Amino acid sequence: MLDDDLSVHIREREGVAIIDLIGDVTTFAEEKITSAYNEVSRRGARNILLNFRQNDYINSAGIAILIGVVTEVNRRNQRLAVSGLSQHFQKIFRMVGLAQYIDIYQDEDEAIRGLNAAVA
Amino acid sequence: MVAGARRGWVKIMANVSPGADPVERVVELHLPSRLGYEKVAMDAAASVARRMGFSADRVEALRTALAEAVTNAIEHGNAHNADTRVLVILTVRPSELVVSVADQGFKPIDKAKIAPTPNIEDSFSRADKGGWGIWLIRELMDEVEFTTAPTGGNQVRMVIHLEKQP
Repeated sequence: MLDDDLSVHIREREGVAIIDLIGDVTTFAEEKITSAYNEVSRRGARNILLNFRQNDYINSAGIAILIGVVTEVNRRNQRLAVSGLSQHFQKIFRMVGLAQYIDIYQDEDEAIRGLNAAVA
Repeated sequence: MVAGARRGWVKIMANVSPGADPVERVVELHLPSRLGYEKVAMDAAASVARRMGFSADRVEALRTALAEAVTNAIEHGNAHNADTRVLVILTVRPSELVVSVADQGFKPIDKAKIAPTPNIEDSFSRADKGGWGIWLIRELMDEVEFTTAPTGGNQVRMVIHLEKQP
């Protein structure tokens, strides 16, 4: 009822691999997020967008999962961005230091433009 | 311990004590030691905080800090033991909200985890990338104190001050 409350979907748009994360990002999210990241990497993604929606709950376990993704992104020379985060979680990302490694955009459209501009 | 307690059971008790400060109001939550139930505490605390007049960003800070405290109590203090409860007490005062979270102390809190400021660069080379919970509580709340609960468990007492809106 209260535990696993996250949907993860993969899609591609304008050369960017988008991982939609709908719901809570907590310890229960690890396998779903890691699998999605591994899948887009297996397909050769260079630019990856974590597109958050309805995420009113991201906890420290979720942050640890995202640090794990950043670790891999750095190792593979990929580029990682996030969109759709609330102001609160944007602040948390800055506090933790994630913002140094992840480009933060307000929405998906802005992220796609930003990632493609950075490549061009 | 709550006698006859079973999984999935939440006890909520609100009290306005006639002998106490007339403006002091107390809400108690007795939560099952199962991950996910911290969301019940988050929603209850957010509801109280909004009614007190806290701004949206302060309510979000409270939700995050309380989630970490309750999750710690479930995972560490109560070691996921289904027979235990996490006690959350919300005390409304005129200028602040006091939130205490107590477990039943199967495992004492690791004092080494209370003090340090984690560093993301260090996390990249560690297998365990966690350790952010207590730091987040300290960053987001105005006062934080780690003590022993009257029942012998771990207790975190957090205070968030009601700032006057400009």
